[in-house]
Amino acid sequence: MKVSFRYPGQNPVLQLEGLELVDGRRTVVFGPNGAGKSTLIRLLAGTLPGGPGWETAYLPQTSHLFRGTIGWNLGLGLDTERAVLAARLAARLGMGDRLSEPAARLSGGERQRVALARALASPRPWVLLDEPLAPIDAEDRSQVARVIAEGVGDRGAVIVTHDLETAAALGSHLAVLVEGRLRQQGPLGEVLSRPEDRRVASVVGVSNLWEGVGLTWSGAFAVVEVGSVRIWGVGKIEKGRPCRALFRGESVAVLGTGGSTGSVRNRWPGTLAEISRGGRWVELRVDVGGAKVTAVITPGAMDEMELRVGSQVVAAVKASAVRLLTAG
Amino acid sequence: MEFLWEVLRDAIGTLTEASPQLWTVVSLTLIVSAVSTLVGVLLGTPVGVALALGRFRGRGALQLMVSVGMGFPPVLAGLLLLLLFWRSGPLGDLGLIFTPTAMVVAQVVLAAPIAAGVTAGAIKGLGGAAREQLAALGLRHFTRGVVAIREARSGVAAAVAACFGRVVAEVGAVLVVGGNIVGETRVLTTLIVEESRQARFGAAVAAGIVLLTISLMVNVAVDRFGREVA
Repeated sequence: MKVSFRYPGQNPVLQLEGLELVDGRRTVVFGPNGAGKSTLIRLLAGTLPGGPGWETAYLPQTSHLFRGTIGWNLGLGLDTERAVLAARLAARLGMGDRLSEPAARLSGGERQRVALARALASPRPWVLLDEPLAPIDAEDRSQVARVIAEGVGDRGAVIVTHDLETAAALGSHLAVLVEGRLRQQGPLGEVLSRPEDRRVASVVGVSNLWEGVGLTWSGAFAVVEVGSVRIWGVGKIEKGRPCRALFRGESVAVLGTGGSTGSVRNRWPGTLAEISRGGRWVELRVDVGGAKVTAVITPGAMDEMELRVGSQVVAAVKASAVRLLTAG
Repeated sequence: MEFLWEVLRDAIGTLTEASPQLWTVVSLTLIVSAVSTLVGVLLGTPVGVALALGRFRGRGALQLMVSVGMGFPPVLAGLLLLLLFWRSGPLGDLGLIFTPTAMVVAQVVLAAPIAAGVTAGAIKGLGGAAREQLAALGLRHFTRGVVAIREARSGVAAAVAACFGRVVAEVGAVLVVGGNIVGETRVLTTLIVEESRQARFGAAVAAGIVLLTISLMVNVAVDRFGREVA
């Protein structure tokens, strides 16, 4: 699609061509502050003029509840059936026994849960969420992310965020916005591991996003199985459920075979499959039995190790540098 | 000083006498003011909501009309209505000239723009988050207006108070279209005009005291309401 927006008499703050927002897909629009993300979502929602005029359920960045009880707020604009659904979603977000309380007394996170339940319960075919997890405490985010995923269902969703974990928890596709322009888009893992240029890389970082299944816990860490590879990390997972592992390319060490990796939990022997030299960094892709690790190292380190495509190496990353999420 | 004391004594005398004539004037004042405030608010508030929330053609012109209306000279409003209602005027057949109904119409013309302007200001004054959320809900126009009024209700209460304040204190328009007829269209303000002209200052001040008391009571009531719902 093509979207552009300008304030009267000024240059366009947003000029997007070829942005793919596909029905039934959860697209995360990612970018730094001032990239135009909120402008985009407001155009889509129709609260700024000039958008596509979709039928949308929209959660603004700062959720607001109106004077009245929580229950009244939940049902606003919804028919009875949908209001019941909103109450059920609110219950799953921990607000179930508080429907008769006045909404004015809620904290930011509680307000967000109510507004979120109301937006998700709307029957409209598109769901637009602006930083939906920002006011939610870190420990509750995976639960809220799951409710969002279920609430959205098979509808199309656009989720705006500047937080990589939110993107990883909620999205399947990523569109990177910088200064009002679309820089890159594609499946989440692909964009994260292969930023097209340095600007995108500096915005999203170079990261690995693996999709697997929750396996077990051990002490402070959890384990997710990705193909034949196991990855240790931090975060809440559920056994047998789809999970994602997120870690930075800069956190990955590439070692020769046979060397000790000491306390590092995640060590995967593999074959160096690809080398791409940037200016001050080199990106390596290591095939570790089904999964691919993207590592970012210095050219000096690479030359020292005499690495070339086909070299046998060990990719290692500390479990504390790996974030595990339950995929919504 | 002696003169002023005498006037005050006279005024208090008039009030304690509680002449039926005075109470006729007071009750007509209350009825005309209440009805015109009610009608003015009913007409003006939706316009205010539309100005604050709507995007439609002619919005700028409507805003201008409201702004001009808020400061419209009452005597001029009275004159225009007098011409309309005059026996040989366009609406002369209605026979409204020099009746309380004509006074109510004049007051509504003055009050409705105030209801619209103050309501629009109150809704525009809601926070950005509230306005964005209101737009985000995609409610039907009517529901959206009701939610906006609920949300800005202390501001809307202020609009009611402002309307009542304007109509109860207004003299020019009611004098022109009502004619200040004793027992028929005389209200407190026009009574003050008449008594002052006749140099019956005690009676004029008595009417002034009643007028102020009404004004005070209405404002206290609206303020209480505003605080209760805040």
